[in-house]
Amino acid sequence: MKPVMSCSGQVLIRFAFATIVFQGCASPPEEPQLPLGLDPPRIYIANESSNSVSVVDGGTYKVQREVDVFNHGTHDLAITRDGKQLFATNLASGRVSVIDTETLQTIASIYTGKRCHVVTLTNDNRQAWVANIEDDTISILDTKLYRILGSIPIGKGPMGIAFSRDGRYGYVSSQDKTVSVVDTSSHMIIKKLPVGSNPHFLILGLDGRIWGTNTGESSIFVIDPATQEVMSTFEVGPAPQQIAFGYKGTVGPNAYVTVTGLNKVVVVKADPSDLRILEQIDVGTGPNGIWSNPVGTRLYVGHTGSNDLHVIDSGTSKVIAKVDVGRKPIRVVASR
Amino acid sequence: MHVDMNRRWQGMKGWPGWVTVVGIFGVAVSNVWCADLAQAGTVQVGLATNAVGKFAVVRADGIEERLDGRGTLLLYEGDLIKTEAASQGLIELPGGIQVAVNENTVFTILSRWEQAKGITRILRLKSGELWVKTGEGPKPLEVETPVATAAVRETEFDIKVQSDGETTLTVVQGIVEFGTAFGTCPIRTSTISYGKRGKKCTKPAPTDVRQAISWTSAIVGPVK
Repeated sequence: MKPVMSCSGQVLIRFAFATIVFQGCASPPEEPQLPLGLDPPRIYIANESSNSVSVVDGGTYKVQREVDVFNHGTHDLAITRDGKQLFATNLASGRVSVIDTETLQTIASIYTGKRCHVVTLTNDNRQAWVANIEDDTISILDTKLYRILGSIPIGKGPMGIAFSRDGRYGYVSSQDKTVSVVDTSSHMIIKKLPVGSNPHFLILGLDGRIWGTNTGESSIFVIDPATQEVMSTFEVGPAPQQIAFGYKGTVGPNAYVTVTGLNKVVVVKADPSDLRILEQIDVGTGPNGIWSNPVGTRLYVGHTGSNDLHVIDSGTSKVIAKVDVGRKPIRVVASR
Repeated sequence: MHVDMNRRWQGMKGWPGWVTVVGIFGVAVSNVWCADLAQAGTVQVGLATNAVGKFAVVRADGIEERLDGRGTLLLYEGDLIKTEAASQGLIELPGGIQVAVNENTVFTILSRWEQAKGITRILRLKSGELWVKTGEGPKPLEVETPVATAAVRETEFDIKVQSDGETTLTVVQGIVEFGTAFGTCPIRTSTISYGKRGKKCTKPAPTDVRQAISWTSAIVGPVK
C-alpha cells in the first residue's frame, strides 16, 4: 500500500506526539488553585499547661499536629507575615521557641528573660520584641539570626506590646498601670500613659489606634498615636483579656473582646468616639485568646477552662465549630 | 494484697526465663535513662578558677556560692556571676575558651539552641568587663549587653559595659561580629567600637589593645 503521508510528515507527527507525551509526564496537571485569599488560614494555639502549640486547619477545623516547643509554660504567639515562622513565648522557661511552619518543628530556643510573657513582631518582621515580666525589660530578638540585640528597661512588669501603623512607636503595657510609648528609632520611652489596673493585651486596631484591655478592671481602652493620649475607656465586663476585629455583615468594624468573668465574647462598636456594646456571644469556659480571619468573618477563641477552640461566624454570631486542643489554650493566631 | 502478689509471682514462675531477663534488663535501661534525664536538668557549662577577692556565683535556684583563691567551682546553665571591687576571676568554657572577669562585673551564663547549629553559649553581661579568648576556628559563643551583641569567631577581645548600657568592644586579635538593634559591623584586630542605645555600632578605630586588657595580667598572666 502506498503510504497516505510522506515519511517526513510522519516523523513530524510522531515528534509532536512524543513531545506532548513527554510534557505530560514532566509536569502532570496541577490541582486548580483557589483565587488569592481563599486558602483557609492555619490556626495556631498556645497551650500553656501542655507546653505545646496546637495547629488547626482553618478549613476543616481538624487538629493537624501538636508541636512540642521544647520549653515550659507556652503563652504567647506571633507569626511572620509570610507565615513561615511562628514565635512562642514560654513563661516558665524565660525562652522563646521558634517553629518552622512548613515542617511544624521547633527549630530554635532563645533565652530572653525571666517570665517572658508576650512576643510581638516589628512591622518589618526583622525583630521580635519580647516582654520579660520579672526582668522589667523588653528583649530585642533578631528574627533571622535569633540573637538578642539588646534590651529596653520598661518599668514594673511589662505585659503587652503593640506597634503603631507606621512603626515609629512601640506601646508596652505594664503592671504599674501604665502604657509606655517607646520611640523605635531611639529605644527611649517618650511618654507613660496611665490606663488602668493590670493593663494586659495590646493590639493595633483597624483604625490605626492602639486598643488594650485592663484585665484587673472591667474595661478596654484606646490610645491615639497621633496625640499619644488615651482617648477612650469603656467597661465590658470582669477580666477582659484580648481583642480581635471583625464585621457582622455591613456592621463594623467591631471589636470582639474575650471576657473571662462572663464566659462571653463581648462585641463592641469599634468607634472610640461611640464605644458601645452591640451584643454578647456565649462561648466556652475561660475565653482568653482571640483572633480573626483576614476578612473578619470568623473569630477563633481559645478557652483556658474548657481546653478548646471555638470558631464564631461573625455574620450570625454563632459558634460553628469546637475543637479540642491542649491544656490551657491561652493565645490564638492565624496565618494571613 | 499479700495473696494477690503471691499469685502473681506464682504465675510468673511459669514464664520462660528470657522474659524475666529481658524485663530486668529493661528496668535497668530505664533506670539509666531516667538518671540521664534527671541530670539533664542542670547542665554543666564550665569551670571558674583563679579568683581574686570576692567572686560569687548565684545559682538559678538563688543559692549563692563563693570562690576563694586558687580553688575551682563548677558552673551551670543559668548561673549569675558577680564580682565586687578589687575582685577578678577566670572562667574556662569547653573548646578552649577562656573568659576573664574584671571587678564590679555581673553576667549570666545562658544558651541558645538551634536545630541547624546546636548550642551557642551566651554570656549576658549586665555590667562590668570581660576578656574573651577562643581557640582556633569559629566558636559558638556570644556576649550580650543591654545594647549590643558580640558574636565570636576565632578571636581575643575585651568588652565593657557602663551603667547606661553603653558597650565598648576592643578586638585584640581576629574578628568579632558586633551588632546593636540598629546595625552590625565586623570589628577586626587592634580596633575599638562603641555600641549605644538607639545607635548603630561605631566604625572601628585603631586602639592600644594592650592597655585595654592590662587588667587581665593578675589572672591569666602578663600581656604579651
